[in-house]
Amino acid sequence: MRQLKVIGVLIILVLILVKCQKSKVFPEDQYDDRLSGGDETVFSATSQAFGNMFPGLKGYDTHVHELGDLVFNQSFVTAPAPIHSGLGAIFNNTSCTNCHHNDGIGLPTAGELQSSLLMRISLPGNDAHGGPVPVPGYGLQLQDKAVFGKVPECKVNIAYAYNTYSFADGETYELRTPTYTLTNLYTPIAGAYLLSPRLAPPMFGLGLLEAVPESEIVALADPDDVNGDGIKGKVNYVWDAVTNSRQMGRFGWKANTASILTQVASAFNQDMGITTSVLPVENSFGQPQYDGLKDDPELPDSLLNAVKFYAQTLAVPARRNTTDATIKRGLQLFILAKCVNCHKQTLTTGINVAFPSVSNQIIHPYTDLLVHNMGPGLADNRPDFLAGGQDWRTAALWGVGLFETVNNPGYYLHDGRARTLTEAIMWHGGEADQSKAYFSNLSKSDRDAILNFLRSL
Amino acid sequence: MKTKIITLFCIVAVTIASCSKNNTPTKTNTDGTLEGQVLADFPTNLANPNYLDIETKAGIMKDAAALFIATPNDANLKATQDAWKNTRGAWESCEGYLFGPVEDFNYDPTMDDWPVNKTDLDSLLSSKNPLAVGDIDPLETTLKGFHAIEYIIYGVGGTKKAAQITDRQKTYLSSLTQSLYNTTKQLRDSWDPSQSGNFTVQVTTAGKGSTRFTTRKDFFKALVGSMADICNEVADEKMQTPLAAQDSTLDESSFSHNSVTDFTNNIRGVLNAYLSSYNGTSGHSLSELVKSKNISLDAKIQTQINAAVSSFGLLNGITYEKAIYANKDKVGQIQTAIRTLKATIEGDLNDFVEANIKD
Repeated sequence: MRQLKVIGVLIILVLILVKCQKSKVFPEDQYDDRLSGGDETVFSATSQAFGNMFPGLKGYDTHVHELGDLVFNQSFVTAPAPIHSGLGAIFNNTSCTNCHHNDGIGLPTAGELQSSLLMRISLPGNDAHGGPVPVPGYGLQLQDKAVFGKVPECKVNIAYAYNTYSFADGETYELRTPTYTLTNLYTPIAGAYLLSPRLAPPMFGLGLLEAVPESEIVALADPDDVNGDGIKGKVNYVWDAVTNSRQMGRFGWKANTASILTQVASAFNQDMGITTSVLPVENSFGQPQYDGLKDDPELPDSLLNAVKFYAQTLAVPARRNTTDATIKRGLQLFILAKCVNCHKQTLTTGINVAFPSVSNQIIHPYTDLLVHNMGPGLADNRPDFLAGGQDWRTAALWGVGLFETVNNPGYYLHDGRARTLTEAIMWHGGEADQSKAYFSNLSKSDRDAILNFLRSL
Repeated sequence: MKTKIITLFCIVAVTIASCSKNNTPTKTNTDGTLEGQVLADFPTNLANPNYLDIETKAGIMKDAAALFIATPNDANLKATQDAWKNTRGAWESCEGYLFGPVEDFNYDPTMDDWPVNKTDLDSLLSSKNPLAVGDIDPLETTLKGFHAIEYIIYGVGGTKKAAQITDRQKTYLSSLTQSLYNTTKQLRDSWDPSQSGNFTVQVTTAGKGSTRFTTRKDFFKALVGSMADICNEVADEKMQTPLAAQDSTLDESSFSHNSVTDFTNNIRGVLNAYLSSYNGTSGHSLSELVKSKNISLDAKIQTQINAAVSSFGLLNGITYEKAIYANKDKVGQIQTAIRTLKATIEGDLNDFVEANIKD
């Protein structure tokens, strides 16, 4: 009898302890919609929210990340110099952070200190790898600044036309349409050329996006709209200059870049005129601005890899107020509007034993990493490998609610034409026409619910 | 039997009690009055007087440079150099809380970019290019600001004499000091409560309408983050880069040999940020908020800040350019003191904010 009582007490205790476990906090499916970056999520909503290291990073990795951070924030100067040497001779800006301010999105101006907009340029047609054709004397990107004694390639002028439109309920909104013109060309360009503006994008979460298996992205593509939902989506396969091979494009506004390393090395080379072992030829080679110095590569591999690692290991800010009723309603409306058909809520990164930080993570980037036809309104009419003149890669929406805080006042879309989230939505077209129409026909309170949801990202 | 039942109930009660989420912090400052007072006093007692002081001192430097240019002798050069160091002191201490317009509008790199683009600066000075303020404003920030001025008035090695400064350099100096003053004025105006769209309002209304700090916690997180950031910048960037490379030319204020003072003022800025204090005027502060709930944590933070500041005394007046070669151990001790402080700010202090500031 005594034994039975003791057993009874023990059973009761076990039952109580079982009930105590926090099963409600972390559901069985491991889904926590605040954790946009899975394990690599940070709970930060300040102006530095995009600049945090992966919380899971440890040991020497933290040192490499911090070294990359230092280089990312450092200004480069004209060679020869004892440190950070090799700027130019032609460039768009003097440091990574001048464009990716606070690791965030840039300002849509050109030629000034804080300017973060650059222009891609090409001739019509395709090169041997199916990519854009360089313009003789200019290459594939315009550098609108130069070191002392050298001539910038041009001056980029931006003008906006403003038009007012109405939602179904009569409330008005304004869209501004940019026009880009080039003046002060250092040498004439023969014939027609194609231009495409590109605003510096946010830096965080790139390592997680890079870790999403190619098969998972390919499975989302529906180039012939077989499912009949009006949304296609295709993979942009690009020529990768680093590996000399055809790769899936993931990064850049047209998904024209295959890897973080290629993106970082290209930015050093094209945006700042800094050569690396990966891209050792000056962007002005063959042009009168070429410095002729035998100092290439100007950036040692240790620092190139540190910056690459930095870009790979910037954590994703957590969502905020996810239990707020309006925000939950906004999410439901966002789903009903079929925004999620492209802005995919959830992706899962592949298994990577060599780099556990990005391995097997459930992430909520709100992108499918595919390119979609966004209609004539946003078109740059400059194809980039398989991405056509109206195609843009689905922008990742994680962190979009913090653009105002991190990059006061915050701009949106590939050229920063949208000054608010509302404008960004109303610029959607092409495959997104139906979603835009859905939003436009909502009541103001429902539109605000969607905006509040976006601000929670 | 009754005893057994009572015992059983006791066990169950204790078990249930032990299951409660005791990791959830107790909220004591429920009305948030003190938090509001800190939000009010931070701009009033620190940010605004600090930015005004920078502007005032930059004005004095501009006037000193003008006097030197009019009467170029060593005494007037020394006065300009002193004015540079005074302005620099006020500026470096504001780096303890580098958020708001100073980062939004790039006032920081506009005034304090590094390194100087010496190659281009020398070429510019050798050229016949115009050097008026309007001509130099569009130049890259590595050709302007504190360190370009420092390069002209101190020179490499810090041995410049008045007679060595050329007419072109004087013209450039005049425009550089005016341009720097203009930026300090913009920075001051950006927080000035009498100016429209000022940042002071963003702080005082944090969590109550502020568009920059939608919660009060956002402000305190930004403050704590900026305090940690400057510790990292001093110990592991400004000090570490020349130390690791054993190269004094990589030292930020190497022309003036002012780096140790720069570093000290950076860490003093952390204390100012923690105490909402500038030049002896102080008000309600983060320190007070911490102290109201955790006296030992407040004491620990203040002790570590003061230890970091005083650790620079280990160098006993030796310049940083020499210390990285001759006093590596002492440099290491200073770095350790700052890293310890940084760890406390990022750990204990950040946890305190997370746990105690709810609105």
